[in-house]
Amino acid sequence: MKKISTKALNKSFLNWFYGNLTCFSQEHMQTFGYMLAMLPILEDLYDTNAEQTEKMQTYSAFFNTEPQVGAIVVGITAGMEEARANGEDVDAETINGIRAGLMGPLAGIGDSLVVGTVLPILLGIAMGLSGGGSPLGAIFYILVWNIGMFLLMRFMYFKGYEMGGKAVEVLVGEKAGAIRESIVMVGTMVIGGVTASWININTAFQMLNEEGGVIVDLQKTLNDVYPHILSAVFVLLCWYLMSKKKMSPIAVMGLLVVVAFVGVLVGFFDPGLSY
Amino acid sequence: MTISVLQAALLGLCACLSSMPGLGGTTFGNYTLGRPLVAGLICGLILGNVQMGILLGCAVQVVYIALVTPGGTVSADVRAVSYIGIPLAMVYVASTGMDPATASAQSLAVTLASTVGTLGTVLFYGTATINLVWQHIGWTNVEKGNLKSLYLVDMVFPWISHILCSFIPTFLICRAGSDMVSLIQNYLPMDGIAMKTLFTVGSLLPSVGVAILLKQVVSKPKDFLTFFFGFTLCACMGLNLIGCAIVAGFFAIINYEIRVLGLRPVAAASSSMDDDDEEDI
Repeated sequence: MKKISTKALNKSFLNWFYGNLTCFSQEHMQTFGYMLAMLPILEDLYDTNAEQTEKMQTYSAFFNTEPQVGAIVVGITAGMEEARANGEDVDAETINGIRAGLMGPLAGIGDSLVVGTVLPILLGIAMGLSGGGSPLGAIFYILVWNIGMFLLMRFMYFKGYEMGGKAVEVLVGEKAGAIRESIVMVGTMVIGGVTASWININTAFQMLNEEGGVIVDLQKTLNDVYPHILSAVFVLLCWYLMSKKKMSPIAVMGLLVVVAFVGVLVGFFDPGLSY
Repeated sequence: MTISVLQAALLGLCACLSSMPGLGGTTFGNYTLGRPLVAGLICGLILGNVQMGILLGCAVQVVYIALVTPGGTVSADVRAVSYIGIPLAMVYVASTGMDPATASAQSLAVTLASTVGTLGTVLFYGTATINLVWQHIGWTNVEKGNLKSLYLVDMVFPWISHILCSFIPTFLICRAGSDMVSLIQNYLPMDGIAMKTLFTVGSLLPSVGVAILLKQVVSKPKDFLTFFFGFTLCACMGLNLIGCAIVAGFFAIINYEIRVLGLRPVAAASSSMDDDDEEDI
């Protein structure tokens, strides 16, 4: 009965943690990171170079997912490779079936949940701590994100290794859906908070009477309606253009340049600067 | 403030570590060193003004708060935003004598960083293309059974791609850029329409970053109410972001409990009793 040594598992995990994207190309995105992560496992399970080379062919298929959440796939295949070395009914197709089957869903979970929600929440808090130019927020982010992600990835890698192919059901179950929805809810609220705290769009538009006195100060009026309303309006406008009109972020940025130029010309925007 | 040879070299090294297929790894490279907030701290340390670095880094961070690269498609690569844009913005702000805590200095940093961010996209595709060469070497060696070469391919050779596509561009632009700053000042006065537009763009751009994030999390109209709930907490009720996150966490727990309650009857009907031990207590 062959069993992968803890040392080999740790080495495999570290290879993935560091090297998942270092040799990225558009053709084989994370394939080399994956092969490097499997190398300690294969070396541990198979004695001859010929066997190791043959088994490595399994992992030469294209691989790309959100690499942090994707640590679980590497763990799962390590478990499956161990089963294969013990003569269980696991072949290259089974392993690659799991790899290909989890790549997409995990990229979806990882991109929207970890990178798209947890990371902005942490950054939002960190920006709050760094108000006034204090390094505290940046240090907070560096520590919490790195320690948190390292432990999460390690946990997922070893959980995947223990569970092998069975891990698939847990990842796409209903309870996972409830957790996902709740975290996304925190994210949505914090994004609202970030909009209010960190976006500053003000108008300089004023209506003057004949003596130069102010009749209408548009920004003041808007503040009475709903503070920071222009920031919210612009975010919604950008959202509308990107999700309903399918414009690319670059195109939207280009459009904002035009809006800014016209706005400055008509006096709607005026940063009011001088050297 | 100018950028010396040594300082430019350090910034170039950070650019190598921090980009998307970066040599610092995904978690520490791209998602830590590459974030403009962290880059603000690093650039501040390198250039000797941490407070200014953080203030400008924070402002730029809002634009790139949603920088997700699904399937390896990038709209902007962080190495240029963080280690060309922020240092140049610092030099510019310092030489004009602006207060970095003001909205105008921050708008300038945002505009500058976003502009050089588009250059980063070119650098990204350059790096990925050169990596094809190393991968080709890798395939040849793996077929021959020379498996240890994977370490060279994945961790050593990409340094060459990065020296060409991260280090050299960052080094050259940072060095040249600090001389160009005074040129810009002479030709583009602050009260001219070009500078006014530039600063206005800087204040508008963060809304694109937030909107990208919103696009990912809003799936139904009621999600907008969640967004405005958070917005109202900060805009009308004066909570800071930590307070906002705690209130949000509280609502998320309520939501989770309700969702799990909704799942229970189904679970009880379809599975046997011993599966539900934990929930019955």
